[in-house]
Amino acid sequence: MHRSLLIGVILLLAVVVLVLGLFWEPDKTISPEIAQKPQGGDFTLQSSTGPVHLKEFRGKVVVLFFGYTMCPDVCPTSMGQLSLVLNDLPEEELAQVQGLFISVDPERDTLERLQTYGQYFHSRIQGVTGTLEQVAAVAKMYGAAFRKSEQQNGEGYSMDHTADLYLIDRDGSLHSSVRHGAPSSELLQLLRQLLSRD
Amino acid sequence: MKLKNYFAMFLMGLMFGAQAVAGTAADAVSVNDPYVRAMPPGQPTSAGFMGITNNSKQDLVLKDAEGSVAKKVELHTHTMKDGMMSMHKVDKIDLPAGKMVMLKPGGLHVMLMGLKQDLKPGDNVSLTLVFSDGSKKQLEVPVRKIQMMMKKQDAKQHNKHMHH
Ligand SMILES: [Cu+2]
Repeated sequence: MHRSLLIGVILLLAVVVLVLGLFWEPDKTISPEIAQKPQGGDFTLQSSTGPVHLKEFRGKVVVLFFGYTMCPDVCPTSMGQLSLVLNDLPEEELAQVQGLFISVDPERDTLERLQTYGQYFHSRIQGVTGTLEQVAAVAKMYGAAFRKSEQQNGEGYSMDHTADLYLIDRDGSLHSSVRHGAPSSELLQLLRQLLSRD
Repeated sequence: MKLKNYFAMFLMGLMFGAQAVAGTAADAVSVNDPYVRAMPPGQPTSAGFMGITNNSKQDLVLKDAEGSVAKKVELHTHTMKDGMMSMHKVDKIDLPAGKMVMLKPGGLHVMLMGLKQDLKPGDNVSLTLVFSDGSKKQLEVPVRKIQMMMKKQDAKQHNKHMHH
């Protein structure tokens, strides 16, 4: 009798564990960094010439992009567009703009490589990165996201990533973002608007 | 008996004739404004873009692309996944009869992986399109900076607006 009670308790416990295992799911939200409204904020990352603090650029308009140098299409399109727009600015305005290319692939993108990459598109574009955690934290603040693509091939991996350009005003606040593929005129207009503010 | 033979030959002749008129996929396709994107020195990847028009009355299929400029040449596309641009290989690109399919930035492209040379504006790269019937079309493709392409595009859009 004593024994059958024990077996009963064990069976009951087993059922409880099974049910919990089947139906209880901890909160698994996907990509919260995209869902929340991004607030922006200060950060420090590394460049080939030393640390780069967003704070250094107070008084300037900053354009942020998250990408990686081995990106064959999306990143060069956005950087090409940014350089095109920067070339449309008169010199005194150009001096008040800083472009930052933040690599989401620090595993392969060395600081030297990032330097070359930024400069290739425009002298006002600087390539920066950090540890994967640091870059992920900055991406989260700005509403960007990235991950290693599942599709691997003989020549290495590619990265999935958001491809918006983020505009930061002279006070260091995130002002707006321009989606990938938007016409250059949209970026130029926003830049002009931010530059005209004091 | 003899008449039957003539008839068979006539039929065969018709069939060969039809095939000759239809030609290969490579002959039925024309390529519009191809270019490969210039990249910073040392860059291992790039992409080729173009408009491909199927001038025939049959649907055709682009199966592959080849080129000695890179270790690996593939047909690729981009899709939006969870708000992120994601690139992947495609097994084929359908070319509907009488239509132009655009390989363009942000979408379909000829992916070049493991570049064997730097791609500088003004260079030419040879690429080969391979169709499902096995026919091939060889192209001499200029290397261009993306900025130049965009300027052209912006100007086109501008012109369109002016006409309205
Ligand atoms: Cu690709």
